[in-house]
Amino acid sequence: MRSRATLLTGCLIVALVLAVAAVSMVWTPYDPNHVDAARQLAGAGGEHLLGTDQFGRDVASRLMVGARITVFAGVVAVGIALLAGVPMGVVAGMTGGWLSAVIMRVSDFLLAFPALLLAIMLAAVYGSGTLTAMVAIGIASAPGFARVSRAATLRVMTAEYIDAARLAKRGRVAIALRHVLPNIADIVIVQASVSFSTAILAEAALSYLGLGTTPPTPSWGRMLQESQDLLFSTPQLSLWPGLAVAATVLGLNLLGDGLRDRVDPALEGVR
Amino acid sequence: MLPRRIPALTLSAALVTVTLAGCGSGADRHSTDALTVGLVAEPATLDFSTTDGAAIPQALLGNVYEGLVRIDQQGRIQPGLAKSYDRSADGRTYIFHLRNNVKFTNGKAFTADDAVFSINRVRTVWKLKIAQQMDDVRSATKVDADTVKVTLKRPSNNWLYSMTTRVGAMYSRDGVSDLKEHPVGTGPFEVASWQRGDNLVLKRNTGYWGARPALDTVTLKYFKDSGALNNAMLAGDINVLGAVQAPETLSMFKDKSRFQVIDGSSTAEVVLSMNNSRKPFQDKRVRQAVRYAIDHEALLKTTRAGRGTLIGSQESPSDPWYAGASNRYPYDPAKAKRLLKEAGAEGTSIRMRIPNLPYAVSAAQVVQDQLAQVGLKVRIEPLEFPARWLSEVFDKADYDMSIIAQVEPRDQWIFADPHYYFRYDNPTYAQLLQKADAGSPQEAAADYRQALKLLSQDAAADWLYLMPNLMVADKSLRGLPVNQVGEGLEFAGVRWSGK
Amino acid sequence: MNHVVRRTATLLVSVVVASFVVFAFLAVLPGNAAEVALGTNATPAAVARLSREFGTDRPLLVQYADWAQGLLHGDFGTSYVTHEAIGPRIADRFAVTAWLVAGGMLVALLLALPAGVLAAAWHRTGRGALLSGLSQVGIAVPAFLAGILLVYTFAVRAGALPAGGYTPLTEDAQDWARHLVLPWVSLGLVQGAVLTRYVRSALLSVQRQDFMRTARAKGVRRWAALCRHGLPNAAIPVVTVLGLQLSNLLVGAIVVEHVFVIPGLGDLLLRGVQDRDLLLVQGVVVVLVVAVLVLNLVTDLLYRVLDPRLRSR
Repeated sequence: MRSRATLLTGCLIVALVLAVAAVSMVWTPYDPNHVDAARQLAGAGGEHLLGTDQFGRDVASRLMVGARITVFAGVVAVGIALLAGVPMGVVAGMTGGWLSAVIMRVSDFLLAFPALLLAIMLAAVYGSGTLTAMVAIGIASAPGFARVSRAATLRVMTAEYIDAARLAKRGRVAIALRHVLPNIADIVIVQASVSFSTAILAEAALSYLGLGTTPPTPSWGRMLQESQDLLFSTPQLSLWPGLAVAATVLGLNLLGDGLRDRVDPALEGVR
Repeated sequence: MLPRRIPALTLSAALVTVTLAGCGSGADRHSTDALTVGLVAEPATLDFSTTDGAAIPQALLGNVYEGLVRIDQQGRIQPGLAKSYDRSADGRTYIFHLRNNVKFTNGKAFTADDAVFSINRVRTVWKLKIAQQMDDVRSATKVDADTVKVTLKRPSNNWLYSMTTRVGAMYSRDGVSDLKEHPVGTGPFEVASWQRGDNLVLKRNTGYWGARPALDTVTLKYFKDSGALNNAMLAGDINVLGAVQAPETLSMFKDKSRFQVIDGSSTAEVVLSMNNSRKPFQDKRVRQAVRYAIDHEALLKTTRAGRGTLIGSQESPSDPWYAGASNRYPYDPAKAKRLLKEAGAEGTSIRMRIPNLPYAVSAAQVVQDQLAQVGLKVRIEPLEFPARWLSEVFDKADYDMSIIAQVEPRDQWIFADPHYYFRYDNPTYAQLLQKADAGSPQEAAADYRQALKLLSQDAAADWLYLMPNLMVADKSLRGLPVNQVGEGLEFAGVRWSGK
Repeated sequence: MNHVVRRTATLLVSVVVASFVVFAFLAVLPGNAAEVALGTNATPAAVARLSREFGTDRPLLVQYADWAQGLLHGDFGTSYVTHEAIGPRIADRFAVTAWLVAGGMLVALLLALPAGVLAAAWHRTGRGALLSGLSQVGIAVPAFLAGILLVYTFAVRAGALPAGGYTPLTEDAQDWARHLVLPWVSLGLVQGAVLTRYVRSALLSVQRQDFMRTARAKGVRRWAALCRHGLPNAAIPVVTVLGLQLSNLLVGAIVVEHVFVIPGLGDLLLRGVQDRDLLLVQGVVVVLVVAVLVLNLVTDLLYRVLDPRLRSR
């Protein structure tokens, strides 16, 4: 029962973020980057729903575009992690032996490079940018996918339908694509929702450090950085992006938990 | 050829945030003979003769080191370790009459030998390009123990001026073995301790020749983040916060019973540079269009809470030839559009590569939006400052537009050097500056005025504003330097009142 | 024993590979080190001379061998920017970060143990759901955001604690603690929330086991049974998570140090990136990566000590 509520809440929040991101591509109340000296630091309500920042830019519009950046960041990072990690895990799980050992060693090794550290290194070399940051987060998240999909693959490989497929002289690639992948998909999806929230947190942190999204693009982390100086006089400027980050991550975590409970009830409550 | 004074491009955040602080926390808990000064950029070493960066002279010049001459709050040259000086009629020879009661903190007396040693040392030991300011010196010789004669290769007003900066600092012949950690000077203070990454403590030089400073210790505390500085000020951890990085935060310090806001002028022109050697800015009309397209008042209001001075050329109020508003361009987007159309530059994409310093990042966002209104597409690319910005923009001039504060006083020469990153090549301008350097002070002012007008008409760059020298201080502090005129942040005259 | 040897060997190999990866990665950093070191005012001749002095004009592999050999002796080289030895600087900063991480971990534990026990004891009740919900929210708030909120509340509004900065422990212990309280809490809150969930679920799975049923049958109250018998048995999974969390804290510290202007390793790293201080960045990254690798090893070994079933393997 509770797990369903969790799942539902998570779904709702994530859907809302996705919807806002989608709408921001075609419409925002104001141009999110338009500077208007006559409308600096306007309060919420009135003409500007959530007020304006020190540049007179509409906060609501910027939050909307921020949602888009967030979704983009998550998709890129998770996409990379998925594309790199899942094949690693499936191959390791299906072959066993030295190849599996090598893959898992590489994956363990990568785990020693925390995502944020890797992103800072990449930003140092290639300059800051959303894409650079997310490639780093993606690489750092890949081992997680490799581990999870290897474990799942090992379990799948003991199933009867795999033996049947082998007897039918199906090739390894065919078995992987037709039998393994579909059967580990649910676990991979759970992992993806966890990684997604990791990526969002990392993007926010990097932008906050000035190593992520470049101005004037309003990523939530950047908005937090820009508003920090105004924490005393206009704390609401920090409130909105802070709330947006926390709510989105919460939504993704709830979604992940809810999904996990469905996929593997024994793991209830474990992240 | 060109005026040889080559000041450093010390455009760092160093100048931009200065904080003074009493020890302990709370405005009432300070001791009356101690001051803690917080800054953003810390010195890499304590030796400005081998290490570049504004933070070193900021901490040491006028406090630990002194020159033969110094600059006052109005930008005028005043006697320093030389009680007077004579300039020959042809402007080629200077005789400095030294004070005879001056001692270095290593106990040695300051003599003509030290002065000659220090001037020559710039030419032999200094690794930095600013040392070229001494290239005009033909010879520096000791006349007697208290008199030094300097002969120049050509007459130069700038040379004397440069003697007020770090290249004019006087060293002890026996005190240069460990300058990176242990500077030895004649100033009102000496270095007591240095904890890298955190603070630099200066203590009163008990053998100082001049008026006794009111403060026994001055701790320069280095912060990384302006937000933390502001919060520290509010929380009462520090007593003065100088050269506020984000003036919009001033509203935090409204409480008149605790704080005073000091709003002076600086020599930091925030320049919107346009690469004169590249399309589309090869075309003067495009450069002028940019100047017309920018609403400078709005920019100052949104990025600096209106604090600062609007200028129209490479000049600041402490320059004797300052022309004020007359060099400025009015905000006229229609004219900007027309000029762009004439030049066929509408819709051009522009790469704005800025240092990742807060003021530049703020200004860039406003410039980006305002240029978008007239049809120029600007992409902002923040680069790590100093390292990456220096190598990409400053050294290689691989940029279309940039924004940086040129903090050096009297740095008009930067537009006279065609290799400087503006890539502005106008021999007339260079000749005018050269003439100004050689002439009498009166002639110089007229020549400078003409040169700066030319620079503005040519739209060699756009001048966004002149940085204010903005500080917040505990209300009972007196004697803080209001205007930033030279390289040093001097504490000799600072005192607590009434306590 | 065999396992310990094998894991240690793996660690050593990983350290070597990691150091090379870090070195190679950063060697392509744009901006000539000598140019950067000399700043704006460098003459080309001086740049060339300094490149020779730094040895940055030599082949990459030679430079790596040189650097790695130094590392073995704890010599991290001399900074191109500040011309000072990097090793002692890293050591100083490491101490600061270690305090930060240790305190953060302590806060996390102090938070998670009671909260986890309560959440398990209140399993399937409204209060339990509330605690779980709170921990979910805690996980979703990034440490730097928690830091900003704490600064706003306790430093800006209440003026009770310093907003940032650091005093060494040896100078003034009280001031040291005052400066670290907020950073500890910002780091500890998030990790504590994560840990709460692990403690809770570990306890829940212990609860289903026979000895717990026996204890309960003897009339021991539920929460008492949980504390006396449950916690020790839940230690195994919790220790595993602790190891991972220490790595997270180490990285989280980078951002938290930035919020609170604490001169730790993260601050040093960001400064190195900003200054293009190649050797410094290399040094800090290697130290952090090795720290993570060692933490993983220790966790793994500890796990075996705690779980007798694995010891014989």
